[in-house]
Amino acid sequence: MNTQIKFTLNGSPVMVEAPGEISLLRLLRDHLNLTGTKEGCAIGECGACSVLLDGRVVNSCLVLAPQVNGREVVTIEGLGQQDGAHSASDLQAAFVKYGAVQCGYCTPGLVIAGEALLRSNPMPTRAEIIDGIAGNLCRCTGYQQIVDAIEQTALQRAERTQQHAAAKVQE
Amino acid sequence: MLRHTTHWVTKPANRVDGPDKANGKAKYAGDYRVPGQLATRALRSPIPHARILRIDTSAALKVPGVLAVITSDDFVDHGRFGFPVADNFILAYQKVRYVGEGIAIVAAVDAEAAEAGVRAIELDLEALPVIEDMEQALLPDAPIIPDVVTEGSKHGQPNICLTQIVRNGDPEPIIDASPVQLDQTYATPFQEHAYLEPEAVLSIPNPDGSVIIYACDQSPFNNRGVAAAVLGLPQDKVRVIQAIVGGSFGGKDEVVYQMSAQTAKLALLTNRPVSMVFSREESIMVSYKRDASQIRIRLGADRDGTLQAARVEAWLDGGAYSAETVLTAWRAAMHLAGAYKYQAVKGDVHVLYTNNNYSSAFRGFGNTEAVACIEQAIDEIAEQVEIDPIDLRLKNIIGKGDQTMTGATLNQEVGLRACLEWVRQKSDWDRKRREFPLQNKGRRYQKGIGVACYFHGMGLGGEGTDFANATVAIERDNSVTLTNGLTDYGTGARTVFTLIAADVLGARPERIKVLLTDTETAIDSGPTVASRASVVGGNATRVAVEKIAQLLTFAAANLLQCAPAQILRDKEAFIGPDEEPVDFDTVVNHARKLGYVLSAHGRWQLPVIHWDFAKGTGTPYVGYTFGAAIVEVTVHSGTGRVQADRIWAAHDIGKVLFPEGAYGQLYGGITQGLGYGLMEEVEFNHGYIHNVNFDDYIIPTAMDVPPIEATFIEAPFHLGPYGAKNVAEPSMLGVAPALANAVYHATGKRIRELPLTPERVLLGHALHNDDHGDNSRQWLGYGKGLGNVRVI
Ligand code: FES
Ligand code: FES
Repeated sequence: MNTQIKFTLNGSPVMVEAPGEISLLRLLRDHLNLTGTKEGCAIGECGACSVLLDGRVVNSCLVLAPQVNGREVVTIEGLGQQDGAHSASDLQAAFVKYGAVQCGYCTPGLVIAGEALLRSNPMPTRAEIIDGIAGNLCRCTGYQQIVDAIEQTALQRAERTQQHAAAKVQE
Repeated sequence: MLRHTTHWVTKPANRVDGPDKANGKAKYAGDYRVPGQLATRALRSPIPHARILRIDTSAALKVPGVLAVITSDDFVDHGRFGFPVADNFILAYQKVRYVGEGIAIVAAVDAEAAEAGVRAIELDLEALPVIEDMEQALLPDAPIIPDVVTEGSKHGQPNICLTQIVRNGDPEPIIDASPVQLDQTYATPFQEHAYLEPEAVLSIPNPDGSVIIYACDQSPFNNRGVAAAVLGLPQDKVRVIQAIVGGSFGGKDEVVYQMSAQTAKLALLTNRPVSMVFSREESIMVSYKRDASQIRIRLGADRDGTLQAARVEAWLDGGAYSAETVLTAWRAAMHLAGAYKYQAVKGDVHVLYTNNNYSSAFRGFGNTEAVACIEQAIDEIAEQVEIDPIDLRLKNIIGKGDQTMTGATLNQEVGLRACLEWVRQKSDWDRKRREFPLQNKGRRYQKGIGVACYFHGMGLGGEGTDFANATVAIERDNSVTLTNGLTDYGTGARTVFTLIAADVLGARPERIKVLLTDTETAIDSGPTVASRASVVGGNATRVAVEKIAQLLTFAAANLLQCAPAQILRDKEAFIGPDEEPVDFDTVVNHARKLGYVLSAHGRWQLPVIHWDFAKGTGTPYVGYTFGAAIVEVTVHSGTGRVQADRIWAAHDIGKVLFPEGAYGQLYGGITQGLGYGLMEEVEFNHGYIHNVNFDDYIIPTAMDVPPIEATFIEAPFHLGPYGAKNVAEPSMLGVAPALANAVYHATGKRIRELPLTPERVLLGHALHNDDHGDNSRQWLGYGKGLGNVRVI
């Protein structure tokens, strides 16, 4: 049975007809053609399907599509475009720069998890970063460079915020 | 080889496919969406071993939405394939030999219709006795699994596929006469590749009866060869394009060949694009594993710890089909006794058939198993002679000019000693070895530290001719396009090729694009295995690009009216005797004006070596990489839980071409080794896999990986581009045995069976979860009845 689902996706309103029992992951991939969000297990164990739901990271394979009605979803495709205080593209660039990307299949989920972490905790310790990405499996990297990328992004953002504040004071 | 200093190779660089992957734009095979695309579902064997009495697909074809159903009858020679032993099928023929083996595939307008089609297929199976382990395979009245005549048949053991041997002198009398002796058997588990991307393939038919296959394969040319053969098409009617691959580690060959041929056949039958995407459960149940092994090691040594001789016999559980285990076994044989000097070594590696899925390539390719066992045995010898494990290793390791265990002479720089010394010093080894046992007395948490070292033969060695082909072309906009027959499935090979081309050509990496491997544009280079992409593929790139670089030098000389030898290069600039730099674009444009053709092909091959498989003698490899690892652990004496606290690793990989990539491979390999040593084991219960998803098959998370301190010892290798060797595989080798040695140091318990789960550490053996394969059965649809499958 198809049902109508209305929500905000990457900043724009969308409306889709889809079967009511499918997951948000299937809705994104099969009905909205957003294939940046990946399926690695479909049971909530790998984090490859991570998206932001009302700003919090969730495994989209465990969310039923109709549950997002009236809510706000951000996928990997939408992260870079968000303007706000921090565009996540700096985090994406850091993933590349610090060697946190190998096969890349886990990367969208880890970027989302990293972004969610930095939004709630702008200056995490290494242990907090490890904790923040513990729900995301990566088989290629051994995680070290992923932690580096998130840590360095936090530092850069802090520096930028400081410069910003200093500039304001000067004005 | 090097005409100017390096600007790009060996320097910090961004992975060329990094940005697309980080922003979600990279297309994996399961991400393609083509209008009219059909979905597929498979009818899979619900039992481990059976004769197929009858398949009737007519009812399935009547299900609304179903467009085609295929079985083994739809392929040439029933879809038989396999190299070196052709014992496998695209879909099961006459018999099924493991749980989950494909029997028929249904293509339909959507997954639900395909699923309904599968349930409508009538299948009668006659259950056959099941071989659950290697012991049963060798029993006199064991059912015979393969349908080919095996080497073992000659000796009344038809379930022995073959035996790979190494013969270097006669060790037994030496061992018997040695004052110090060891005779122990070690075991290693089946391991799942667990690449994060489950397998996916998309086949698109062309109007002329040819077909395009987008696949997550490791070796597109091999894939094309298999597909063309079983479809009965000439090779040029099958085009295989490698999509971005979400990890492989050796795991995306045979299983993806089957999916490719299946979807290609369905695409040709229906004239519609056909996709096949595995779920995680399907992936774990259907795809092949690292073989489980039992390795008996006999060693003889002097009282001063000098190793004398080794006799090693190994049994690999190859499962239902031999696949690449035949070659895995050979590599295992070449490394069985480790990186040490011996007077004599004899080794035998038997490949056995069982009904446990099937085994094939996985990172380390037989040497992972070999190192895991010999490195524990070496520690046991060290203990007997009361010498520090590192001292004992330093006393016995091979160096330049020595004979390896196979009897071949080592003609290269060897960084092994430096690796061992580095990890010893960095880890504060000597103090910890001394102090931990004293501190542990009466404590609940026991600390230990252990070491392992290894050598790893480069490239295919005696397994085949080791060559690669590359092409280069300067396009009209002066960008540079490269192809390579060796592929990048997440390893960073495309970035390495880019950096080499940038340096040789004197062109910014941003100008350069390495195409995804496409059998229509790239040139066959054999399989992308054995971590050979950097060395062999890198050299082929160098050879191709050097040709263009020379033409550009001529063009610059012509432009600047000087001799070619007078042209100097600095990044993109060409500098003549008047020291006036001319830029890359000007020179390229001038070369075109002169009529030069700015495209070239390069082929490179490792020197040919010879191994006599029947005699077990010869030169197995042109060279080796080396390394050492130390792991520090804490063991909880009440629960048996082992935690890795720190890891130190040093790897002699020759020159490092792409540092971020090399460290990434190193950390990733170490993490897979950690999983192999501590937690990963595909458990078979009566042929059914217990752990079919990540809730039961546990791989390391960020929490499990301790701080890793690692370095590269860059002992140059004369054949590699810029002196490079390989890193992808060797990086995981030392971790599991170092863990086992550390657990022994902490607890005094020698377990000899991986992985070191709490039960093994506490009780000395595993507690097998005898659930009769409920997880597999559930996925196979037992709960809902099995459709129209009848088991007799
Ligand atoms: S696909 Fe959702 S957690 Fe793995
Ligand atoms: S980069 Fe391959 S799974 Fe993380």
